[in-house]
Amino acid sequence: MKSKIVVVEDNAWQAAQYTRVLESNNYDVSIARTAQAAIDVIDDVQPAAIILDLLLPGATAMTLLNELQSHSDLATIPVVIATSSPESLSGATVSPYGVIAVLDKTTMHPDEILTAVRRAIV
Amino acid sequence: MNSGGNRGDGCRGLSIFGDIDTLTVAAHELKSPLALIRHLTLELESSAANPDSQKMILEQIRLTSEKALRLTSNLTKAEQLQSSLFETSSLHPSAVCTEVFQEILPLYKANNRDICMSTKSRTQLVVANKDILRRVLLNFADNALHYSGDEGIVELFTQLIRKDGMVRFGVRDYGPALPASLWNDILTRPSAPQVVHDRPDSSGLGLVIASRFAETIGGKIGAIRHRDGASFYVDMPISKQLVLL
Repeated sequence: MKSKIVVVEDNAWQAAQYTRVLESNNYDVSIARTAQAAIDVIDDVQPAAIILDLLLPGATAMTLLNELQSHSDLATIPVVIATSSPESLSGATVSPYGVIAVLDKTTMHPDEILTAVRRAIV
Repeated sequence: MNSGGNRGDGCRGLSIFGDIDTLTVAAHELKSPLALIRHLTLELESSAANPDSQKMILEQIRLTSEKALRLTSNLTKAEQLQSSLFETSSLHPSAVCTEVFQEILPLYKANNRDICMSTKSRTQLVVANKDILRRVLLNFADNALHYSGDEGIVELFTQLIRKDGMVRFGVRDYGPALPASLWNDILTRPSAPQVVHDRPDSSGLGLVIASRFAETIGGKIGAIRHRDGASFYVDMPISKQLVLL
């Protein structure tokens, strides 16, 4: 059975790029463009891991992380943050929210998203 | 909408936001498209994508770079506003809209989105600089593509505002309604742009530039919140050319 991953990313082409990498490695991917939409998708899919862009329109990624922590069934889902602005947060800030990796979009290789997801699910 | 004054501290070229460092804002806004271009290029290099996928990825790289170049071009132009006078002429609104429509259509198609043109009322010639007006409308159309939802068509419209002697050029999207807090944030951005700590496309840089462009050619930008989306517009004065004949 395929592991389910939810990608929360407002750039459709960036989300599609993650999806291509993950689906070619036998993951089942769902996409949400906003934090608000992500709550419904995550609740519905109950994914094994979440890939989260930090900078979203409307409610922020931190709002989503807080929301996830308020639901006992969602609070333990590991989160991988992929952002162009990693300098705007520290590991200490997000680790209590189940964030297991922060990837810098400006320097990462596309395959690193796969490595991070594998590490999150183990 | 006031765009703020110049700093006058010798930092020429970094002054269009007043106290905000334009260079920092621009660098932040350009990170996202550059990172995406890099990812897509690396994917092309490393994957065994079929020809159709390769073609799609190449088109995404081209369109993403063109969007980033529009921003850099607008930044350059915005700086020139302080020392240049822009020639204005009488323009037909639908001709300007058609040009903008044809330029932005490939980006919408590549995103599986639709954009159309409409005339809400009979319009008249306007006085404007065509290049500057075009840049303002392209900015709104870029914004609508990003903010509106997957459903619904984006509408590029013109409307005669007879009582004000203006023609309104607008971009209407039918995305999900924005929360009031976010809407207020957008409306205040032209005079108070953010630096970072927000979504790359939302620093307000585009709106600030659009506002400056509009002021330079005698127009004024504004926005309307709808139950099912938003309209961003620029009002341009009607040409008196016909009256003089």
